[in-house]
Amino acid sequence: MSELRQIAFYGKGGIGKSTTSQNTLASMAHYFDKNIMIVGCDPKADSTRLILHEKAQNTILQLAAEMGTVEDLELEDACKPGAGIFSPDMPGGWINCTESGGPEPGVGCAGRGVITAINFLEEEGAYEEEGLDFVSYDVLGDVVCGGFAMPIREGKAQEIYIVMSGEMMAMYAANNISKGILKYANTGGVRLAGLICNARMTDFEYDLACALAEDLGTHMIHFVPRNNIVQRAEIRRMTVVEYSPTCDQALEYKELARKIIANDYKIIPTPLEMDDLEDLIMKFGLDLEADEDNIGKAAAEA
Amino acid sequence: MFILGFHFPKELGNKIADELVLEKLDAAEIDTSGINEIKMTMEEHGVAKELSYTNKDTFMFKALAHYIKTAESKYMIYTNRYQIAELSKRLDSDDETMALCKNFDSMAHFTVEAA
Repeated sequence: MSELRQIAFYGKGGIGKSTTSQNTLASMAHYFDKNIMIVGCDPKADSTRLILHEKAQNTILQLAAEMGTVEDLELEDACKPGAGIFSPDMPGGWINCTESGGPEPGVGCAGRGVITAINFLEEEGAYEEEGLDFVSYDVLGDVVCGGFAMPIREGKAQEIYIVMSGEMMAMYAANNISKGILKYANTGGVRLAGLICNARMTDFEYDLACALAEDLGTHMIHFVPRNNIVQRAEIRRMTVVEYSPTCDQALEYKELARKIIANDYKIIPTPLEMDDLEDLIMKFGLDLEADEDNIGKAAAEA
Repeated sequence: MFILGFHFPKELGNKIADELVLEKLDAAEIDTSGINEIKMTMEEHGVAKELSYTNKDTFMFKALAHYIKTAESKYMIYTNRYQIAELSKRLDSDDETMALCKNFDSMAHFTVEAA
């Protein structure tokens, strides 16, 4: 039996982290027969909807609130088998799904849900299931919050994939997450395993993502192009892999899945200072926009 | 590290020498002798353009021929395409190849096949 690998997808909110992670994990299960457990760590609870064909799964926090306490909760209540080709009853790899959930907006601590969920899953033996190859956490990029940093901090996730794009704030978040990894790398053993560029079609996006990866000491493991078929599949609450398994975009996710399975490039990152991050962007031809003399000037003036 | 789909072990770091990629290409021992012309379709914003490439003495030709022989579809994986262009800009120098590299730098969708 192969050793269980615990991975995590981090990234700025809205970057396409849950879409990327679900399509990639679906590829790992469907094309490479890997058995996977997804632990959604986003209060939106949308980390499993494409695997389950559901709007949103009942979260551990919701279920615990209904039952009274988390101690009253059973694993079967919180952990659902994937639908369609991801069901354990189907040939190939299977996917089990759980969502931590979070409090009502504006009330309480969102990260607490992550801590409660992971502790619950461990105590209930969720990671000891026969044949399980991967546990995957899908986590918000706000590692300033201790709860969202938990998979890193406690050494739960051993390898972190950062979903980013060529946009400044996505790169900023990637750098910040790297700072979080660096902080806990020696105590928890967590490592940065690569950047996944979920393309936004910005200028010099591929080059920027590669350069950031190089400066962080890692690699850009894959550049995922934009393709509307992803949205069409999402409307049916499906991954592209299930919606159209031989389409071009499914091949992109398949290649990313193959690389993650084979990946041995796991490192302690070397995060950048903010000024260095801005210099990096200027280096790739955006210097006209970033020139000190042009700050505050409209496009027609500059 | 992964370049052109090849795996390079962690000990080699995150800057892989071009020679090592060439070694992997050679070691793959793919018979490309029957390929004399490579045809590509470049599609962007709904406009498709046919491209032909015939310069057999280049890294570009070798890498594309290898891709054709090993890929499961005519569709070109973006990452591989960018990496082929990156390497070709360093290893090749002729105008035909540099023009193709420029096309490869775009966000267009490419398919590739032997003519």
